[in-house]
Amino acid sequence: MSHRLGQKLGWNALGLVVFAVMVFPVYWMISTAFKTNDEINGSVTPGWVPRHPTLQNFSRVTHKAYFWTDVKNTVIVVLVAISIAVVFAFLAAVALEKYRFTGRKFFLVLLIGVQMLPGIGLIIPLYILLAHVPLLHLNLVNHLSGLIVVYISAVLPFSVWTLRGFLMGIPKELEEAAMVDGSSRLGAFFRILLPLVAPGLVAVSVFAFIVSWNEYVFARLLLNDGSTQTITVWLANYIGGEKALDWGGLMAASTLIALPVVGFFLLVQRRIAFGLTAGAVRG
Amino acid sequence: MRYRVLAVVAAAIALSVVAARSATAGSTTSHTLTVWLQVDAQNGWPQVVAAANQAFEANHNGWNVNVQYQSWGDHLQKFDATIAANDTPDVIEMGNTEMTKYMAAGAFADITADKGQFDNAKYWLGGLKKSSMFNGKLYGVPYYAGSRLVTFRTDLFKKAGIKKAPASLAKFENDLAKVKAHDHTKGFTPFYMAGTDWYSALSFVYDYGGSIATFSHGKWHGTLASKKSVAGLNAYKKFFRATSPKSASKLNEANPAPYTVFSQNRTSAIFGPGWFSCCTGKKFTKVTGQFVMPSHKAGKSMPGFLGGSDLAVPEQSNSQAQARAWMADFTSTANEKALQAVGNIPNATNLLNGTVNDRAAKASWFVPTAKHWVDVENGNILRTMLGQILTGQLSVKKAAQTADANIAYTLNQS
Amino acid sequence: MGATAEAAVGRPRRRPLVWRRIANGSVPYLLVAPVVLVLFAVLAYPIYYLVRISLEDFTLFTLAKGVGPYIGLKNFSSVLHDQVFWHTLLRTVVFTAVNVTLTIVGGTLIALLLKRLWTPVRILLTVGLILVWAMPPVVAVQVWIWMTNVQNGVLNYVLTTLHFGNYDGHNWFGSPISSLGMATTLIVWGALPFVVITVYAALSQVPHELVEAAQIDGAPSWRVFKDVTMPVIAPILYLLTCLSILWDFGVFTQVYLLIGQPAIVPANYVMGIYLWEQAEVLDLYGRGAAISILMLVIVAAMSIFYVRRMVRTAEIT
Repeated sequence: MSHRLGQKLGWNALGLVVFAVMVFPVYWMISTAFKTNDEINGSVTPGWVPRHPTLQNFSRVTHKAYFWTDVKNTVIVVLVAISIAVVFAFLAAVALEKYRFTGRKFFLVLLIGVQMLPGIGLIIPLYILLAHVPLLHLNLVNHLSGLIVVYISAVLPFSVWTLRGFLMGIPKELEEAAMVDGSSRLGAFFRILLPLVAPGLVAVSVFAFIVSWNEYVFARLLLNDGSTQTITVWLANYIGGEKALDWGGLMAASTLIALPVVGFFLLVQRRIAFGLTAGAVRG
Repeated sequence: MRYRVLAVVAAAIALSVVAARSATAGSTTSHTLTVWLQVDAQNGWPQVVAAANQAFEANHNGWNVNVQYQSWGDHLQKFDATIAANDTPDVIEMGNTEMTKYMAAGAFADITADKGQFDNAKYWLGGLKKSSMFNGKLYGVPYYAGSRLVTFRTDLFKKAGIKKAPASLAKFENDLAKVKAHDHTKGFTPFYMAGTDWYSALSFVYDYGGSIATFSHGKWHGTLASKKSVAGLNAYKKFFRATSPKSASKLNEANPAPYTVFSQNRTSAIFGPGWFSCCTGKKFTKVTGQFVMPSHKAGKSMPGFLGGSDLAVPEQSNSQAQARAWMADFTSTANEKALQAVGNIPNATNLLNGTVNDRAAKASWFVPTAKHWVDVENGNILRTMLGQILTGQLSVKKAAQTADANIAYTLNQS
Repeated sequence: MGATAEAAVGRPRRRPLVWRRIANGSVPYLLVAPVVLVLFAVLAYPIYYLVRISLEDFTLFTLAKGVGPYIGLKNFSSVLHDQVFWHTLLRTVVFTAVNVTLTIVGGTLIALLLKRLWTPVRILLTVGLILVWAMPPVVAVQVWIWMTNVQNGVLNYVLTTLHFGNYDGHNWFGSPISSLGMATTLIVWGALPFVVITVYAALSQVPHELVEAAQIDGAPSWRVFKDVTMPVIAPILYLLTCLSILWDFGVFTQVYLLIGQPAIVPANYVMGIYLWEQAEVLDLYGRGAAISILMLVIVAAMSIFYVRRMVRTAEIT
């Protein structure tokens, strides 16, 4: 018994070490957020804990032009992009998993192929496309909708593939059980499958969230007005703007920005519990 | 079920289109002048921008100015995308070393005929005016300039018994040695310079009468391996090794910023733009002074790199007359004086007033006005050469010859 | 099935048989349509444009015209004859191999570790990983720059204090290997959470009884992993590996911001940077397009093994 416990303790100690190593830069960011700029720039040796913790940095950045506007913009972009992308991807994943149709293999390879395109090579033509959207005669440059569409297309391939992978992992017996229950094929599919593929939906949503939240190159390229930019662009401007980089402010802003992502993940995680599969198969 | 799915999908698409339509709808009622300025203006002199916008809008009913701030790192890439999409801003701020390539590409409108529209055009600073002209025509309006100065710790210099600014480079080296003798803090060097900071390093080359490149017989030739240039590079190497930390041999001035090193009490003097004095740390604001870098010839100043910006009107703009009017408002005498008040060099000689900044502008050098100059900069050819020289990886002559070959190749491209 | 349905619903369901068959047959296409439409709308024109300008002498000097003189495959041959291209390619392949291996192996190991932790520790580690993932690359780069600062960076300080040698004043970006090594730590660090979370989610689909049965039988853990766990998570691992290859081969933002334009030289190029420098900095768009297409072909070749596996497992079901 004690050997087992010893092993368990060992694993948990390792877990804590991994935690410490991974989180160190984040810790550095947060602790710097509470330091005064004089302490940050003036000290010759790195200070592990802020000597005179202050909230000055936080108040300074939240009052800077467009901070909250850009946070709002980012939230809009991300939520719309995720919602649409996850729905579209799930539908396509179901089609790929359940049905044998001509062009299925081609579609799969196409999804991967699309990911092989170097994004920065597409900067100019995408800009041209969004500046003169055909049929709709819109200029979507400098508008969030242009960016949203780009982000959706960026996360779709991975999302489709991942959800398909999760669908494949679901034992056939469950589907059959659902169909015997009397629902139509598709109805059973959605009602039974949704909870089972939940972990996959979580992973894909979080992935889409993070990609959109952190994306830099296209947001920078397509959004010019301070009022329509996303928070990554705001941060980049903050870094490149001031003559002397305001480290404290930058770290404070970054800390604030990281919070919604953590919040989102915790929220999604709690609503869709892992391990539902186990119960279903045993039952 | 599948109909429900279709309905959801269709609704989502419809909603996005409506949203996009309504988002773009508002801009058709009045005219907008789109101006691209660098963030320096947003942080440093927002009141100047506001004054220009006010003056412009007062004279142009129904127009409003939309200033979009850009960063030096990628504003050219963004500008290229707008050129390709025929969606350019109406006014754009360009660095003076960036102008030539775009003028050669026909990206800007010819404003030679409208020169009289701008205040003090007769007295524009030579360096800036040169950067705004191509093939005898005017394509840009000088905006402001910046020169290079030594920013130093008055208290440490006083402690070392230095009473006045050094009159020659040799004297300066001696003074710095004196400061070092008085300070034994670990890691302290009397001078800090990023080894590959070519804006500062090439001042030594020009001080000895050398140059980067010249145009003759229809081709560009790199001239860093000429006798005079090599003398300058050797002087730089000697000065660096005597006064600056070895660890900075391959560093650039972006990271760490010299003023950060200054604020950490690791050095007593730095060489860079005049605005460095802004950021030397709360502890040392009262003991920060500036003087012009001395030449190796006693009594003279070392030529400093004349950085600066110009404003230009993209050729594809549909509001060129309005763009010119805005530029005139922005570079008015009053505005230029305001820019001067916050530490910049104004765009005209008749506005100079003898501050240390303005004095530095009198002795200056500028990069070769070649179509592909900005490619030499971005290819880091000069930085590589300086790193090789300071680390001893290559002899000064060899490093200079390699750089010359690369510069000639780059500048002579079609 | 029809009888039960009628009984459940309470009234007869009658639809013309042919129409029903067609409607049923069109279901997969309808489900796939949204994705196809979005991808086509966003990527069709850019791909066409890229191919078109790769065959033209398209630079800043022809940008305003929108089209440059046709030069056939000259861009491709120029790139393929450029030493810098081949050196960069080799460097990038090695870079990709290192990054992908560290990311996938490290991520899987941490996911397996997560399964063995007590709940509080697991939650702590998960939240930590999410915080890492939530940090925008733009900011992470700044933290890295700060930590590797030549004079007072925490990395030099810790290494010197722990007596690993005298790292005082050590420049971590003084050589291409060191610079790209730093980039690797940043990239792998940032990529791990994603792999961990995805693999962990996949692990939840491994039938618990099978694992227990194998353990009761006395099989060692690596055996359990190989025979029970791996088959279930294999599709996800292939996908993650494939994506990591794609992504690490073309990586740009992190390397560009970390090393910085003033220090970027052909000696420390990776393909993403090489493309950016050629296309966007030197404004040689046609050449850049040729490089993009070559990158596409090369990365396709690099990932073909995984793509085949992924598509094949699709056929088994």
